[in-house]
Amino acid sequence: MISLIVFLPLIGALFAGFSGERFGKEAPEIVTSSLLTLTAFLSWIVFFKFAAGGEPFLIFIASWITSGTFQADWMLRIDILTVIMLVVVTTVSSLVHWYSIGYMHTDPHRSRFFSYLSFFTFAMLILVTSDNLLQMFFGWEGVGLASYLLIGFWYQRPRANAAAMKAFLVNRVGDFGFALGILGIFVLFGAVDFESIFNGSRSIGNFFEGKSQEILPFYDLLHIDFLFWKIDTVTLICLLLFMGAMGKSAQFFLHTWLPDAMEGPTPVSALIHAATMVTAGIFMVARLSPLFVLSPFAMTVITVIGATTAFFAATVALVQNDIKRVIAYSTCSQLGYMFAALGVGAFSVGVFHLFTHAFFKALLFLGAGSVIHAVSEEQDMNKMGGLCSYIPKTYLMMLIGTFALTGFPLTSGYFSKDAIIEATYAASFHSSAGFYAFLMTSMAALLTSFYSWRLIFLTFHGTSHISSEIKEHIHESPMIMLVPLFILAFASLFFGFIFKSFFIGKNYDHFFGNSVFPSSGTAVLDAMHHVPFWVIWTPTLAMISGFIFALLLYLKWPNFPSRLAEQNIFLYKFLLNKWYFDDLYHFFFVRPIIWLGNFFWKRGDTFLIDGFGPDAVAARTLDLSRIFSRFQTGYLYHYAFIMLIGLTFLMTFCIWRILG
Amino acid sequence: MMSYSYLLTEYFPLVIFISIAGVIGLMLLVAPFVFSYRRPDTEKLSAYECGFDAFSDSRMKFDIRFYLVSILFIIFDLEVAFLFPWAAAFEDVGLFGFWSMILFLCILTVGFIYEWKKGALEWD
Amino acid sequence: MSKVTLSDLLPLLPEIILIIGAILILMYGVFSSREKARLNEIAMGFSLALILLIFSMTILSWSSGSIESELFDGAFVLDMFSSFVKCLILFSSFFCLLMSVDLFKSEELSNFEYPVLILFSTAGMMMVVSSGNFISLYMGMEIQSLSLYILASIQRESLRSTEAGLKYFVLGALASGMSLYGISLIYGFTGSTNFSAISRLASEFHAPDEASLGLVFGLIFLLAGLAFKISAAPFHMWTPDVYMGAPTPVTFLFATASKITSIAVLIRLTMSVFPVMILQWQQILIFLSLCSMILGSFSAIGQNNIKRLVAYSSIGHAGFILLGLSAGSQAGLIGVLVYMSIYTFMALGIFSCILAMRRGGEAVESINTLSGIAKHEPMFAFLFATLLFSLAGIPPLLGFFAKFYVLLAAVGSHLYGLALVAVLSSVVSAFYYLRIVKIMYFDEANQESFDPISSIIHVILLISGGISLFGFAFPRPFMYIVKTVVLSFL
Repeated sequence: MISLIVFLPLIGALFAGFSGERFGKEAPEIVTSSLLTLTAFLSWIVFFKFAAGGEPFLIFIASWITSGTFQADWMLRIDILTVIMLVVVTTVSSLVHWYSIGYMHTDPHRSRFFSYLSFFTFAMLILVTSDNLLQMFFGWEGVGLASYLLIGFWYQRPRANAAAMKAFLVNRVGDFGFALGILGIFVLFGAVDFESIFNGSRSIGNFFEGKSQEILPFYDLLHIDFLFWKIDTVTLICLLLFMGAMGKSAQFFLHTWLPDAMEGPTPVSALIHAATMVTAGIFMVARLSPLFVLSPFAMTVITVIGATTAFFAATVALVQNDIKRVIAYSTCSQLGYMFAALGVGAFSVGVFHLFTHAFFKALLFLGAGSVIHAVSEEQDMNKMGGLCSYIPKTYLMMLIGTFALTGFPLTSGYFSKDAIIEATYAASFHSSAGFYAFLMTSMAALLTSFYSWRLIFLTFHGTSHISSEIKEHIHESPMIMLVPLFILAFASLFFGFIFKSFFIGKNYDHFFGNSVFPSSGTAVLDAMHHVPFWVIWTPTLAMISGFIFALLLYLKWPNFPSRLAEQNIFLYKFLLNKWYFDDLYHFFFVRPIIWLGNFFWKRGDTFLIDGFGPDAVAARTLDLSRIFSRFQTGYLYHYAFIMLIGLTFLMTFCIWRILG
Repeated sequence: MMSYSYLLTEYFPLVIFISIAGVIGLMLLVAPFVFSYRRPDTEKLSAYECGFDAFSDSRMKFDIRFYLVSILFIIFDLEVAFLFPWAAAFEDVGLFGFWSMILFLCILTVGFIYEWKKGALEWD
Repeated sequence: MSKVTLSDLLPLLPEIILIIGAILILMYGVFSSREKARLNEIAMGFSLALILLIFSMTILSWSSGSIESELFDGAFVLDMFSSFVKCLILFSSFFCLLMSVDLFKSEELSNFEYPVLILFSTAGMMMVVSSGNFISLYMGMEIQSLSLYILASIQRESLRSTEAGLKYFVLGALASGMSLYGISLIYGFTGSTNFSAISRLASEFHAPDEASLGLVFGLIFLLAGLAFKISAAPFHMWTPDVYMGAPTPVTFLFATASKITSIAVLIRLTMSVFPVMILQWQQILIFLSLCSMILGSFSAIGQNNIKRLVAYSSIGHAGFILLGLSAGSQAGLIGVLVYMSIYTFMALGIFSCILAMRRGGEAVESINTLSGIAKHEPMFAFLFATLLFSLAGIPPLLGFFAKFYVLLAAVGSHLYGLALVAVLSSVVSAFYYLRIVKIMYFDEANQESFDPISSIIHVILLISGGISLFGFAFPRPFMYIVKTVVLSFL
C-alpha cells in the first residue's frame, strides 16, 4: 500500500507526460487527479492505522549503491512523521490537482502541467519516505526540479524564467550545504541510513553525557582541526544540513527565491511553495532531530534564524501589493515559526504547525487563485476592492483561511501557532535565543494579523478600484475549484482541534513514538503546559490588535496608510524593497560572479585559450597552407627551380654532415 | 712540382692540337677575304635560315610536322649510333650479341611500322 | 660472357609475354580496319586479359617456389620482394584499365594505344623492380616514364591534359637526368653498374673519405630522381598539376603503380645496395619525409579540386612511406610494404569515387559539387566517407594500421621527432578528409544527383570500401606474406 502511495503519482506523471492529449483532452487531468485522490485516501488509511497505534516499518524496494562499506538502498521508512507528511502531501496535492482542472482549463499545455504536478508529488513522497539521506537527497533534488519546471511553466514569460532560475540557484546554495552535510555524516557514522545515524547519535549523546566510556570508531572524528580552529563535527554537520533546510524552506538569507516563485501558476504556489516542498526543510530537521539535539549551538542558530525569518517576512508582507506575494511572505514567516519551534526542541510542535499550516495556507493560496481568476489575472490588491459581494464563496473561504492563519481561537492555526509561541516562552528560561524567539514570534503574530486583514480588506472590502471592463467578467469560480476550497476550509477550521492531542497533547508519546527526538521535546512540552496566563493570551491579543489596526487603517481611514508611508518614507522603502536583500545579493554575489564569468569567458577562454590555442593553431595552419599554395604557381621553370633548390640543399646538407 | 711537370708533359699534345686547330680555323676565316671572287646580289646577301624569314618574331607558328620528322630522324640516327659499336665488336659479342641486336632492330621496326601506318611519315 | 639459352630466360617470361602481347595489340590496332569503338573494345579486352595472365603467372611462379634467380649477370633479379611489388603493380595496372573501361567507351579517351601504353609502362615498372643493374634500372624507368608522359597527355583535345603531359615530361626529363647523373657518379666512383658489385665496393669505403663523398653525391642525385617519381617534397611540384590534368585512371596509376615502383627501387638501393651508408641516406630520407608530410597535409587544406586534393594527400602519404623507410630497419620495411599495399587499396576506392563524380555526362571535380550528396547517393557517400576516414587514419579502418606500422618502426628507430611530426601532420590532414565528409553529409544538397554510377565503378568501390572497412579483421595472412617477403629480402 505504501509503495502504491509513492508510485501512483509517478505513474500518473509518466502517463500525463507521455500520452499528452492522445486519449482526449481531459485524460491527463482526470487520470492524475484520480490517482492522487486514491493516494490521498490510502494515506489517510495509513494515518489512522498509525494513530490507532501502528509500529514503524521499512519497505525494501531495490538496492541502489553498494560500494565497500557504503550502502544505500531504495527503501521506504514508514513512521508517524512520514505518515503525517504523506497525509499532508497527498491531500493537498490531490485537492490542488482537482482545483487545477478548473484553474488551468484554458491553458494549452495542461498535460505537461499535470505531469509536472504529479512528478512533484512523487518526488516529495520519495523525500518523506526515504530511509537514507541519499534517497532523501534524490527526492530533495526531484522536488527542486519540479519546482523549477513549474515556476517556469509559462516559459514564454521572461519573469517566470528568471524566477525559476533564481529558485534553482538559491536552492543550489542550500543543497550544496546539504550535500556536504551528507558527506559529513558518512564520514562520521560510516553510513547514511537513518537507523545508523540514530544509533550513532545515541551513543555520541551518551558519550557527551558521560554515561558511556565505550570507545566507538568515530569518536576521534568528533572534532576537526581546520586552520588551528577546532570544530565540533556534529555542529558542523548540523549547520550544513540546516543550510540545506534554509534553502528549501526559504529561511532568512536564502528566502529570496520564494516570493519570486509566485510567477508560477497559483495552484503550484499553493502546493509547492506553501504546503509541501518548502516544508521539506522542517521535515528534514525533524527527521534528524536525534542528531540536531546533540549540538546546542546548531539548535540556537535554528531558533534565531527561524524567529528572525518569522518577523522579517511578516514586516515585508505589510507593504506588498501583490496578493500572492503577501501570502508568499506569510509562508516564509510561518516557516520561520516552525523552525523556531524546532530550534527550541519542540519538534512535534513544529511538525504540528507544518500540518495545520499546509491546509490553511493552501486554502489561502487557492482562494487567492480564485480571486485572481475572478478578476482576469489581476494580482495587484490596489486594483481590487469590494469583491465580497461578487464572489461571496471565495470571500468566505479566504476569511476562514485568514482566521486560521492569524490564530483565531479554536481554528487550527490557533492551536499550532500559539503552541509555538508558548514553546519559545518555555524555552526562554534556559536560553536567551528562546526569549528572542518569543519576542519575535509574538510581534510577528501581530504583524501576521495585520497584513492578513489588510489583504482581506483591500481585496474584498472598501471601494472598488476595478476597471469597469473587468468588472463585467467577475464571476465566482466553478465548483471544481470551490470544492477543494471547502475541504481545505474544513481542515483549516477543525484539524487543529481534532489532532491537537496527538501532536502536542497527552497522546503525544503514544503517537510520535521515536520518530522525532523525544526527551528534550517532552521537557519543552511539559513546560509549555505551565506557562503563565498572559503568555497564552499574547498571541490572541496580538491577533485582535492586528485586526483592529488593519480595520482602522484600511477601512476607516483609507488615506492614512499612504500618509504613513510618506512620513516614514525610509522605513516604507526599506520594507517595500524587502530589506534590500535582492539588491545586496545582486551587488555582492551576482555582479562579481557575472564579472568573473565574463572575465574567464572573454579574457580566459576566448582570448587566452582560444587565441593561443585552437584558433591560433587553426589560423597558422591556414597561413601555412596559403604559403604552400603560393609556391604552386603553375610555371614550369618555378617547379624546376624548386627541384634544383631541393637538390642543392640536400647536397649542402650532406657535405655539412660529412665534413662538418 | 712533380705533378705540375707531369701535367705539362701529359697535356702538351693537346696544346699543340689546339694551336694547330686555331691556326687552320683562322686561316679559313681570313682566306675568303683575301682570295674570294665577289659579286653580291640581294639573294646572296640575305641570311639563310632553313626556309624561314630570318628577321621576324622568333615565336612564329610553323608546322608541327617539322618536329615530327626531326624526332623520327633522331630515333633512327641513334639506332645507327648503337649499330656502330656493335659492328666494331661483332666478333666478341657472339651469337648472343647478334640476336640481341636483331631483337632490338625488330622492336625498332615495329615502331617504324606503327608510325608508317599512322601516317606520320606523310606530309599531308 | 656466359652462354645464355632460351630456358634461362624463363624467369623473364612474364615481362616477355607482356611486351610481345603489347606489341601484338599495337600491330593489330594499326592494321585492323575495324571501326574505332570495336577496336577499342578488343584492345581493352586483350590488355585486361594480358595483365590478368601476367598477374597469375607472377603469383604462380611465386607459389611454386621457382623464385630467387638472376639473369644477365645480375641485371635482372627475381626474388620474393620483386614478386610482391610486381603483384601490387599489376593489381593497380589491372584496376587502372578496368576503371578506364567506361571512359574508353566515351569520346574522352578513345585511342586504342591507351591500354597498350599502360601495358608498356607496366612492363617498364616490372623491369625496374627486378633490375639488379643501373643500366637495366634506367632502361626500365625510361620505358615506364615515356609511356606515362604520353598517358598524361592522352586527351589531346584537352588543354589541361596536354599541359599536364608537357609539365610531366619536362620535369620528368630533368629528374631522369638527375638520376642518370647520379648513376654515372656512382659508376665513376665504384667502377660498376651492378648492384651487388657496388654494394661490395661501398662497404669497403670508409666515410668520410673522398670516394665515399662522391658516392654520397651520386646517391643524392639518384634519390632526387626517385623522389620526383614518388612525388616527395621538394620534388613534388609537378604532382598537383599533373594529377589534375591527367585522366583519372592514369592519375591512379601515377599515385600507385608508379610510386610503388620507385619506392621499390628506393628500398633496394637503401636496404640492399647501400646499407652501409645508412647515416647518409637516412638523413636524406628524413628530410624528404618531413617536407612531404608537412607540405602534403598543409597544402591540401586550401584545395577545392578533388584531384588536386588527392595529389597533396598522396604527397603526404609518400612522406609516411619515406618515414617507414628512413627507419632503416626490418620493422620499417614491413611498415612500408604494408603502407604501400593498403594505400593502393584506398587509392583505388578514392579514384573510383572521383570517377563516379559525373554530372550531365561531364566529370565534376570541385569538392563543393559533393554537397549533400549523401541524400541522393547514400551508398556512394558512405563508401567515400569510409575511404576518407581510412585515409585520415582513423581506427579501426585499414589506413590506421598503415600509419601505425610506419610510426611503430620510426619510434623503434628512435626517430621520435619525425614520428611526432607525422602524427601532427596526420591530424592536420584529417581536417581536409573530414571536411569532405562534412560537405557530403551536412551541407545543403543544392545540386541534382550524380549520373548513374556504372556497375564497374560500383564494384570497384565496394571492393575497396569493403577492404578498408573490414580488412582489419583478417590481418594474419597478409602480415604473414609481408613478413616472409621482408625476411627473405634482408
